[in-house]
Amino acid sequence: MTVINQVSTSISSTQSEVILSVDGLSKKFCRDLKQSLLYGVQDMASELIGAKRKGSTLRPKEFWALQDVSFQLRRGEALGLVGKNGSGKSTLLRIISGLIKPDIGQVEVRGRVAPLIALGAGFNPVLTGRENIYANMSILGLTRQEIENCFDRVLDFAEISDAIDAPVQSYSSGMAARLGFACAIHTEPDILLIDEVLAVGDLKFRAKCYRRLAELKSRGVAFVLVSHSSNSILSKCETAMYLSKGKLIMSGDAAVVTRRYENDLFLEGAPPATGELQRQQRSVHESPGLDVTGVSFRDRRGHKVTVPISGEKAELCIQCKVRHRIADTNMVVSIRERVGEGDKILVLSTLHDKTPFSVSAGANEIRVEFPYLGLKPGSYLLDLHIYQGSYTLLDSVQEFSFAVEGLGSMSECAFYQPRRWNAVQLVSQTD
Amino acid sequence: MSQVVVYRPDSQMRNPLKLFSEMWRDLLASRELAWQLTRRDISAKYRQSFLGILWAFLPALITAIGFSFAKGSGVVNIGNTDLPYPAYIMFSMALWQTFVEAINAPVQAVATAKSMLSRINFPREALILAKLGEIGFNFGIKLIFIVALFLVFQIPVTWSVFLAPVALIHLIALGTFLGLLLAPIGALYQDISMGLTLVTGLWLFITPVVYPVPQGGVFGQIVQLNPVTPLLVTVRELATTGVVSNPTGFWIASAIALVGLAFAWIVYRLGMPFVVERISS
Repeated sequence: MTVINQVSTSISSTQSEVILSVDGLSKKFCRDLKQSLLYGVQDMASELIGAKRKGSTLRPKEFWALQDVSFQLRRGEALGLVGKNGSGKSTLLRIISGLIKPDIGQVEVRGRVAPLIALGAGFNPVLTGRENIYANMSILGLTRQEIENCFDRVLDFAEISDAIDAPVQSYSSGMAARLGFACAIHTEPDILLIDEVLAVGDLKFRAKCYRRLAELKSRGVAFVLVSHSSNSILSKCETAMYLSKGKLIMSGDAAVVTRRYENDLFLEGAPPATGELQRQQRSVHESPGLDVTGVSFRDRRGHKVTVPISGEKAELCIQCKVRHRIADTNMVVSIRERVGEGDKILVLSTLHDKTPFSVSAGANEIRVEFPYLGLKPGSYLLDLHIYQGSYTLLDSVQEFSFAVEGLGSMSECAFYQPRRWNAVQLVSQTD
Repeated sequence: MSQVVVYRPDSQMRNPLKLFSEMWRDLLASRELAWQLTRRDISAKYRQSFLGILWAFLPALITAIGFSFAKGSGVVNIGNTDLPYPAYIMFSMALWQTFVEAINAPVQAVATAKSMLSRINFPREALILAKLGEIGFNFGIKLIFIVALFLVFQIPVTWSVFLAPVALIHLIALGTFLGLLLAPIGALYQDISMGLTLVTGLWLFITPVVYPVPQGGVFGQIVQLNPVTPLLVTVRELATTGVVSNPTGFWIASAIALVGLAFAWIVYRLGMPFVVERISS
């Protein structure tokens, strides 16, 4: 996997000031608890006696949580961070906010960093909303005077004015989350670290959060936004970084990076999907007269492909050898996702469609044409049954494995919807 | 506003001047936060309690009643004290309790603030200052009780009572020194907090709290070597007779407390990032 660095396309980036600069950052962690605690004590001791830490070598049972990550963030810029769980995103944010020390490399921060990681940190359930606003915002680094100045705005934003003097434990989870978000977002930061917290509250509140973020951004606040959802990265960030197992896989234009991430995500975990099947014809006394010898895909130009593309024209081709002509042949194709519950997501049948076909003696190819392949990018298993009439099974293929790739962003889409966008001016009919 | 912070892997001990100036800066910066945290903790504590501030001196009261009975009935043989025994033991218990609170405070503060520590980078000194504020508050409550006690037993005081707070601060400093030193490790290993209960329980017996300062003997020497002894005894003496029996011991113990506190502060400050790294990964 190579690191592809693309020149940021944002115009302002060359002019404005760098406020966060991460340089060759590495961090190691240990998954064994006992060992990890012991290393903690060791590290503390060597910090105290001022010894040089051997940051570059892994001790037993350690792994790199982050490895040689570098990037820069400028005022008013928004950087998306994508990657699976455990890819090092949160570790990166925690080093940036100064919670933990790097093992190699350095981080340079100019100005106040506000983590939107810790909504409602320090909330005490017994105390009222008002008291908790004061405590929470002081923890986030505001003085009493500053809190008093923005108190009304926080209250207004959280929409809990009538419950402000009730203990926080009587709040609904949504209310508490809104209060936490409102506190965090009113701390006037220079850099905002957002770790998948925007999923709080209802749709209306979320929209308000995004408006507030946009407002902050236009005032020059820089963001680092961590998300699993490519859509929220795409709508808020110009540039993105893709981390996997602590390594920076790719950085640059958000659309390019998220597409790469999605393709990797959808295809991962499956054994290499074959997308093509070849098999031998059975002997005469084994075969009921029809033998499937191959399964494959063709793209819109009719070329054989192993990975069909979501949203494009595709053909599923089944090659078979037939001993004698069969007039009413039926075929049932069922497809399920390799991951998840294993429920069928697509069942196509000539029995349902009432379109039986006939095959002649010799080699045949049965083609199922998909004008737009509706399957989203991912990894699938296909089962195939061919019947004579409705009941006599001629041949079947079990668990034919294949993958679908995407060209555009399809996160949060369950299937490909062919579409055309138009804007039509309506001629007014009045007078 | 564009203050530059650089995070590097190198030990901060390699640049002590910078470290000290940062410690000072953070101490100043954490005052307001500490105040907020103290208020939050105290009001949350008493809002969930029926007996409320009674808890500040209830343990001392119960111990005092118990020992007074035991002494009166001759079950335990305790030498004569220069104050009426119930007053002596209650005052001493209040001081001892304050010392134990000071030891436990840093370990507890770190344990309860774990989730906050692992998510927000606020001056870590604030947690300790907040706890010290709480200890001060608790002692204030105890003080009301002690004053009442002095009035009831008509214990004479001299002008030196105004010096007693200085000695008291040294006593708290000694406790905080030990607690602060243990706090980073205590956050990683449960053994520390469990061991502390055990050790402070034993420690009480080698401190002249329920008995007067013993003279001579092996036990007397052990009690004399206990650094809490001169500090606690001096507070008691300053508050009552005004005659300090062991000024040298007091100053030695104070020096241990104050120098130790400065050292423990560095340990705590440098240790916290490693604690955070291990408790939440």
